[in-house]
Amino acid sequence: MVKTKKMKDGSRQVILNGKQYDLITKILSELANKTKASAILFADMSGQLISQRGNTDDMNTTVLSALAASDFAATSEMAKLVGEEAKFKLLFHEGDKRNVYLSNVGDDFFLVVVFDVSVTLGLIRIYTKKAIEDLDKTLSEEADEGDEEEQKLDSDFSSLLGDALDDSFK
Amino acid sequence: MFINWALQEINLKIVYYGPGMSGKTTNLEYIHSKLDDSLKGDLVSLKTKEDRTIFFDFMQIEVGRIKGKKPKFNLYTVPGQVYYASSRKVILNGVDGIVFVADSQPHRMEANVETLLDLEKNLKQDNQSLEDFPWVIQYNKRDLPGVESIDELQKRLNFFGVPHFEGVAVRGDGVFATLKSVINTVVEHVQKEL
Repeated sequence: MVKTKKMKDGSRQVILNGKQYDLITKILSELANKTKASAILFADMSGQLISQRGNTDDMNTTVLSALAASDFAATSEMAKLVGEEAKFKLLFHEGDKRNVYLSNVGDDFFLVVVFDVSVTLGLIRIYTKKAIEDLDKTLSEEADEGDEEEQKLDSDFSSLLGDALDDSFK
Repeated sequence: MFINWALQEINLKIVYYGPGMSGKTTNLEYIHSKLDDSLKGDLVSLKTKEDRTIFFDFMQIEVGRIKGKKPKFNLYTVPGQVYYASSRKVILNGVDGIVFVADSQPHRMEANVETLLDLEKNLKQDNQSLEDFPWVIQYNKRDLPGVESIDELQKRLNFFGVPHFEGVAVRGDGVFATLKSVINTVVEHVQKEL
């Protein structure tokens, strides 16, 4: 499965391999085709964008993911205040031209669907629900650990990164 | 931390934490103003009418490929005022490294201490602790008259002996040194854990 491990210091690591990434992207593509959504993002609850589909060229999807994650965080605090014990599962923002539908995928991930007001919400709901089931399945499937070799950072990575940072900060 | 081996991307989340008006947003604004456009994304600030951070500031920086890997750093600030405690907590979700921006003025010492305890409390809820977490301290506003001595600040705030820097964030002094140090600390930590 997707490695979402709690480290001994308590921090959380999410690690995707190539196959999982391809599967996730395929699910998003299908959702985009069926719903004619303008953009679809899949991200983790800390705000890191994982994959995107649709027409996202004119959209800052990195920032959109960070804002969407905080949207979830803010509404889950809201849920507590109004006496809802679970988190709110979906958020919907309605605009004049575009709507945004956000839904969680398990506890650690979420999906953002941006679509024109001409697309009906019912259609989005049905296909998003299906996509979430598929994503849930993909995220919990056993991954082969075959390419462990490349999955580490070389010992000189830090110092090379340090040099790159020095160059950037001139 | 989020690693996508398909794209060789390593995403790390760094949060600037500290009491109100200590200069967290100023740090980010300076970094944003100095980096080349190709290396940075937009700086997004969720502010009140009075220019105080209400939720967070956010920007992403990249440094290109290193040994085939593409590290990306997501920088966040938290709102400093006491009453935004729950916003601070949620922004810490998934954090990989922290810069604690302390205000060097003597009358802000209590606010520094209180915010540091608030940070430890929030980390504890996620079973983390400042004791073994990658973080650094920036003693900001060193240009102001009558600031507390570094010795005193160290004694009151840096009880785990993490890297510390003197800063004048409005002029950019110490801003990059702080950022570079936290990135290094985080990467070393990640290397150990992978």
